Amino acid sequence: MKRFMAMILLVTLVLAGCASGPNTDKSKRAILVVSFGTSYSDTRELTIEATEQAFVEAYPDYDIRRAFTAQIVIDVLAERDGIEVDNIQEAMDKLKKEKYSEVIVQPTLVMNGAEYDEMAAVVEQFEEDFDKLVIGNALLTSHADYEIVIEALKAQIGELAADEAVMFMGHGTHHFADAAYSAMDLRLKNEGFDNVYMATVEGYPLFEEVAPKLEAKGINKVTLMPFMLVAGDHASNDMAGDEDDSWKVQLKKMGFAVDTYMHGLGELKEVQDLFVAHAEEAMNGEGHAE
Amino acid sequence: MRNVKFKTLAWASVLVLLIIFIGRYWIERGLDRVDFLDTREYTIDFVDDSGRRVKMEGPANRIISLYSAHTENLFALGLDNQIIGVGTSESYPVEFLDKPMFDYKSDPEKVIAANPDLVLIRPFIERKQPDFVDALRQSGITVVSFYPESQEDFDTYILELGLVTGREKMAERKLKAFHEELDALRELTKDIEPKLNVFFESSDVELKTVTTESVAARAIEYAGGINIASDAVAITKGSTIAVYGAERILEKADQIDAYITQRGVMGAGGNLHTISIRPGFNTIKAVKEGKILEINQKIISSPTFRQVKGTYELARFLYPEIIDDISKFNTDENLNRVDAAELFVRYDNRPVFAPTASYYRKEYDGHTYGMFEDVPSSFERFDFVETALNAGFMEGFKRREDAEDIEYFDVEGDLTRDEFAKTLFLFYDLVPMNEHVAIEDISDSENQKIIQSLVDHGVLELEAGNFNPNRAVTGKEVISALEKIK
Repeated sequence: MKRFMAMILLVTLVLAGCASGPNTDKSKRAILVVSFGTSYSDTRELTIEATEQAFVEAYPDYDIRRAFTAQIVIDVLAERDGIEVDNIQEAMDKLKKEKYSEVIVQPTLVMNGAEYDEMAAVVEQFEEDFDKLVIGNALLTSHADYEIVIEALKAQIGELAADEAVMFMGHGTHHFADAAYSAMDLRLKNEGFDNVYMATVEGYPLFEEVAPKLEAKGINKVTLMPFMLVAGDHASNDMAGDEDDSWKVQLKKMGFAVDTYMHGLGELKEVQDLFVAHAEEAMNGEGHAE
Repeated sequence: MRNVKFKTLAWASVLVLLIIFIGRYWIERGLDRVDFLDTREYTIDFVDDSGRRVKMEGPANRIISLYSAHTENLFALGLDNQIIGVGTSESYPVEFLDKPMFDYKSDPEKVIAANPDLVLIRPFIERKQPDFVDALRQSGITVVSFYPESQEDFDTYILELGLVTGREKMAERKLKAFHEELDALRELTKDIEPKLNVFFESSDVELKTVTTESVAARAIEYAGGINIASDAVAITKGSTIAVYGAERILEKADQIDAYITQRGVMGAGGNLHTISIRPGFNTIKAVKEGKILEINQKIISSPTFRQVKGTYELARFLYPEIIDDISKFNTDENLNRVDAAELFVRYDNRPVFAPTASYYRKEYDGHTYGMFEDVPSSFERFDFVETALNAGFMEGFKRREDAEDIEYFDVEGDLTRDEFAKTLFLFYDLVPMNEHVAIEDISDSENQKIIQSLVDHGVLELEAGNFNPNRAVTGKEVISALEKIK
C-alpha cells in the first residue's frame, strides 16, 4: 500500500512537472543581440546596428532584440540621448513576460571573457522560462573564427613594407580569455603578417610590452587600428588621441611615423556574418549552453 | 451625563490630533515661513535661485559647496580657508583635492556632522534630492541655491556669492577684471573681417545649440564670430538650451565656417570623428575644411571666471593667424621653457587643456594637471604650460622631498636642442630613413632615433658633425625649424 501511495505520488509529480513547462507562445522566437554598447551614436550605427541588421536579414522569422552589457553606456544614453536600451536582465524579463518560446542570445563580444560570463550567468537564470534558450559564442572562439577574422582584416592591413607595421589595440581583460589576443598575434605571424602586432589597453600584452619590439625590428612607420567592435572612446582617445598618453603620441615620441585607422571590427561584413553564424550554431545545439 | 461629556471631549481631542497629524506637512511648511518674534539683525537678506529667502546674521565661515562651479568661484574669491568641503564632480582648481568630498546623493548626516554654516547647492540638487536639502535646513544650516542660467545673471551670482561669504569687495574686483579681459578681447576681434559664421553644438541629441542669452553665445560674439543659430528658441522658458536639428544645420551647410562642439559628461556634443561621419554633414563647409573645435563645457558654459578662457579659446580657434601670432618669439635670445610652451601651443593652435570631472580619479605616471609647484593656477601662462605637457610637447621634472615627489616645470630654464627635437618630431609626419647621416654626440640622448630622423631629413642641422643636444635654442631657431614644415 505504501509503495502504491508512493507510486501515485511520483506519477502525480511527474505529471505536474510536465504540465508546468514554460507557458509560452510557440510562434514567438527572438534573437537577443548583446553588445557592450557605445554612447557614440555614429559608430553605433556602423557597427552594432549594422550587426543587428545582419540578423534581421538572416532571420526574418525571428524578432531581433537589443541589450547592452555596459550599464554606464545605458545610463548615459538614457539620460543624455533619451535612448532606452535594456541591460540583459531587463531584456530577458521582457522576453519572458511576452511569452517567447525560443530565445537565441548572441553576444557581439570579441572573446568569451568576463563580460561573456556575466551575461551567461544572467541568461541562465531564465532556463526554465523558455522552451529553447541558447547562447551563441563570442567572435573568437574556434580556430576557424581566427582564420575568418584574419581573412577579413587583410584588406585593411594591406601590403606592408619591411619597415612598416600595424599595431592593433585590443581591450584586454583580467579574465583568462585574455589569451585570445596572444593567440591572434601568433596566428597573424603564422599567416605571414610578421609586422602585425596585437597589444591591449589592460590585458596582455600591454602597449609598453609591444612598442619596444617595433623598435628592435627596425620599424619606421606604424598604423594603429582598433581590435574592438566599435571605434569608440578607446580608439578615439587612448589610441588615436592627441594627448600625451595616447598610443599615437607615445609612438611618435619614440621616433615612429604614425597613422591611425578609425574603423571598428563591427564594420566588417565578415565579422557581422560570423556573429550570425555563431547564432546559427547555437540554434543547432553547438553553442555555449542550453 | 458626566461620562458622555468626557467621551465627547476625548473624541474631540482625538479628532484634533488626527487633523494635526494629517496636516503636519502643510503645517510644517507654513511654520517654515513664519518668524516667531525674530528680533535678530540680518545683515544678509536676499532671495536665492530656488526662490527661497536667505537671511544670515553675517558671512559664512565654514562652507561646503556641492556644485563644481561654486567651488571654483569660492577659490577664485580667495576662500581657501573657509571651504571645508566640496562636491564629487570638481575638477578645478587643483586645491580642491585637499578638501573632504560630500555627496548630495548620500546621507545628509555626513554634511551636518562637518558642522558647516553654509551649504551651497544649485536648484538641480534641490529638485533631485529635496529630502537631503530639507534635512540640512532642519538642522539649522543655511542652504543657498545658486544657478545663473544666462550670462546676464553671472554678475549678480558672483556678487551674492561674495555677499554670503563676506567677499563683496573681492567679488567686485574679480568681476571688474573679468569684464575688462572680455572687453579687451572684443576690442581685438571687433575689426576682423571677414567674420566667421559659427555653429555651436551643445548636445548631439536632437542636435541642440544655445540661445543668445547663454554664456557660449556671448563667447562667440566676443571672440568675433557670428552665431549662425541666433534664431534658436529655448526648449523651456528661462533655459539657454535650444533644439536645432540636422535639417536646419544642413540648410546652412555652406555658410558654416566654423563648428564648435561642447564636450563634457552630460549633454555633450559630438566629437570630431562622430560629427564628420554624420549623414550629410560632409556638405558643411567647416566639416569639409576640418574647422571643428571640441571645447570643454567647463570653460564655455559653466558660470565661472574661466568663461574668459573659453571665450579666448574661441577667438584662437576662429582667427589663429591673429590671436596665435608667434612672431614675438622670433629673436636671437635663448627660448626659456615657459616661452617655449606658449610658442608650441600657439604654433599648433592647440586648444588649451581643461580637466573633466573624471580627470583626478586616475593616477598619472608623468605629470598631473595643476601639480607643478612653480606653475600654480594663478600663474599667467598656466594654460600654456599645462597644455604643452598634456600634448606631450614638453615634459616636467620631479624631485624627491620628504619622501614625496614634487613636480616642477623649471619655468626659467632654457629649452635644449635635445628637448626641442622631440617636440619638433611630433609636429612633423616624418618617416625615419634607413640611410643615416653620421652624428657624433647623441649616444647619451634618449631621442636618438628622433634626432637622427630630423637630421637625415635636413630639418635640423649638425654643427661640425655634432648635434650639441644640450645647447639652448633661440626663438629664431625654433621658429625657423617649425616653418620648414609648412
